[in-house]
Amino acid sequence: MIGVGLTIVFGVMRIINMAHGDIIMLGMYGAFWAHYAWKIDPFLSIILWVPAGFAGGVLVYRFLLKKIVPAGELNTLLYTAGLSLFIANLALLIWKGDYRTIKLSYAIMPLRPFGISVPIPLAIAFVMAILVTAGLYWFLVYTDTGRAVRATSQEPEAAALMGISVGRISMVTFGLGTALACGAGVLLAPSLYLYPTVGEILVAKCFVIVVLGGLGSVPGAIAGGVLLGLAESLGAVYVSVPYKDAIGFVLFLLVLLFRPAGLFGEGKS
Amino acid sequence: MRFILILVALAALLAAPWVITDPFYVHLMIMVLMWTLLGASWNVLGGFAGQVSFGHSAFLGVGAYATMILYLNLGLSPWYGIVIGGLAAAAIALPIGLVCFRLRGPYFALSTLAVAEIIRLVALNWESLTNGPVGLLITTLPPVTFAGVPVDWESKTPFYYIIAVLAVGSLGSVAMLAHSRLGAYLLAVRDDIDTAEAIGINTAQVRVSALALSAFLAGVGGGFYAMYLRYVDPDAVFSIALSVEMVFIAVVGGLTTVIGPLIGAVFLVTLGETFRSHFLTGHLIFYGLFMMVAIRYMPEGIWGRLRLIFRNRSGVRNA
Amino acid sequence: MPEAMLELKGLSRSFGGLLAVSDLSFTVEKGAIIGLIGPNGAGKTTVFNLVAGFLPPSAGEVLLEGKDLVGLKPHAVTRRGIARTFQIVKPFRNLSVLENVTLAAFLRFPMRRQAEAEAARLIEKMGLKDKIKFSANDLTLVDQKRLEIARALATGPKLLLLDEPMGGLNATEVDLATLLIRDICADGVTIIWVEHVLRAIMNTSHRVIVINYGEKIADGTPQEVVENPNVIAAYLGKRARSHAAD
Repeated sequence: MIGVGLTIVFGVMRIINMAHGDIIMLGMYGAFWAHYAWKIDPFLSIILWVPAGFAGGVLVYRFLLKKIVPAGELNTLLYTAGLSLFIANLALLIWKGDYRTIKLSYAIMPLRPFGISVPIPLAIAFVMAILVTAGLYWFLVYTDTGRAVRATSQEPEAAALMGISVGRISMVTFGLGTALACGAGVLLAPSLYLYPTVGEILVAKCFVIVVLGGLGSVPGAIAGGVLLGLAESLGAVYVSVPYKDAIGFVLFLLVLLFRPAGLFGEGKS
Repeated sequence: MRFILILVALAALLAAPWVITDPFYVHLMIMVLMWTLLGASWNVLGGFAGQVSFGHSAFLGVGAYATMILYLNLGLSPWYGIVIGGLAAAAIALPIGLVCFRLRGPYFALSTLAVAEIIRLVALNWESLTNGPVGLLITTLPPVTFAGVPVDWESKTPFYYIIAVLAVGSLGSVAMLAHSRLGAYLLAVRDDIDTAEAIGINTAQVRVSALALSAFLAGVGGGFYAMYLRYVDPDAVFSIALSVEMVFIAVVGGLTTVIGPLIGAVFLVTLGETFRSHFLTGHLIFYGLFMMVAIRYMPEGIWGRLRLIFRNRSGVRNA
Repeated sequence: MPEAMLELKGLSRSFGGLLAVSDLSFTVEKGAIIGLIGPNGAGKTTVFNLVAGFLPPSAGEVLLEGKDLVGLKPHAVTRRGIARTFQIVKPFRNLSVLENVTLAAFLRFPMRRQAEAEAARLIEKMGLKDKIKFSANDLTLVDQKRLEIARALATGPKLLLLDEPMGGLNATEVDLATLLIRDICADGVTIIWVEHVLRAIMNTSHRVIVINYGEKIADGTPQEVVENPNVIAAYLGKRARSHAAD
């Protein structure tokens, strides 16, 4: 789900958003505080935080990013890296660096379908992620705006010629991207440790997924996510447990070298 | 005129520890100088050659570990160790370049990130060599005398002079590079790699040279880092955060300039460390903020912008 | 007969199913100015890319003074003595005029001082002396073309490939450019010249080669080529051909 958000942001605007991970982090913290302060079940708080994420994203794009995009991909990369550092450190200042977790009363016993042990929060997150992804798919395929987003992502110039307001669509897309990330953060919050710099690691994994599936391709991002998950788990079993994180990166490099378009994407010349 | 300024600066540099004795400030100066070295190393590849790398901590880390391991296991004096650390970093740069240089622009940047992460994970797990997550620790540094006086490793002053020499050396080599044929070739590759090929520049060779030099300097910086802090562990030394700091210092200071990294380090490190001493955490916030400001308003960096102002005023070319 | 500077033998290049250059063979004598013309899309720039090493051929040989260049990377081809300009000018935009040409001069003069001196000499020759410190980005199109040629010459080529240098120039500029090209030839450089401004190329070339759909359809003096019915047909269509045959 994170991957999909990232890939549409890149596909539409050729922005590589390094801050994506930190938005996830924000989502996680959002869920945490919602739970802690207002006693709302974190999974429900997604209703609050996803639109907030969307709004935030739109604002960031409109006021910060829009001017940078013409300066080239590399500059936007550096800029978003700066943004990422800024957000993460701001979070450090405000919330301090301690690890936090969310404890849910119904999360103690894991589910056991088919003999595999699945923790409940993860299961709920999985189901909701599928729902969201399905919803996103519906949006992209069946609504006008969604189709506009896809069109702009594939051929910005042609889309402009067809009367699509590229600027507005870019804003919407970025907002979508951040909303998805935020939502993902909320979903993940009960299952992972929370700390302000968690964004760093997440964004790296994120990029691996997106490149695997093909930058700009939505089904690719989904496939990429699945592939990475499989590769890591299999790798943990057959190669060795500590190196499982490295597998993702090795795959990343291999794909970049030999098939830069990824599995599904159009790639970049 | 410029020569006199440099002499004055060098003199000030030499005299500083006699004048400023507060350990915090000495530490600050050491940090500034160290980051100047690291920023300059990144600048060779990222600024002059235009190949933005997000994985430079790999070279720093290799240099750091090499120096540490050689000292702890073989008793090799760190002064040689640091140089060998640099060479080791340059050595691993070659296969890295082979893999990553097939990519361009942001893809290259991401691939260097991946490589650095892989190296970090390897270091984390190759316990027989690196002691894994526990890291390596130095308790005593070798007894050395300098001009007849035994060096007191507990004080910061010797470290100051060492890093001062290293930093000045690095800036000097970058200055020589900038003036040389290779330096000009780097700028061409940065500007338009295909056109550079068309005028007879062996772009592959040029990029690898830049990478090797850049890695060497970063490795030397890493070696110093190890000796100064006396402790290395994979998460500290191979971290994305360190890579990113190097990038930011070079960019904010001024890409393609010699002095840029120094300015960037003075600015960012001073702000960061001062902030850190009061608030303990979140000091990189300035790095993020200034990077955004720089890309938006001053992509040529602080020193780059100053140079432009000079040039427009006097109509004469500067360094 | 003067010795061959460049010889193309059976050169072909296909992209997927499309044959962009087909079994092309011709010879270029030393010291000549050879015009390469043909309708749009005939494959002229592809030929340049093949000769200069930017594209590998699907088949055939490219012989410079008898030695095959196929497989060499562009910078190696330049070192052997072939320089080229681009249809859409490609100066190093962030660098000054002097820096642009010095870069190329470094090929023969490793020391900066000498490279800059050589660069300055060529810059003056191309009439850009008072703009020597300007950023390449700030030049007019005409001056950028001059810069491109100066840069190409700085590598000390035996053979110069000019890709539509007259594009976008007015009549006076075209005449000046023609003089310049003759000048370069007089200095001993062999020139292959792709052009659409036929007036210029017909008046200056020793020989003209015509390409259509990647194939050579004519090879002779400008006079011969102009009267060749195949050439007329290629440019104007079949009706004109039957018309000329009457």
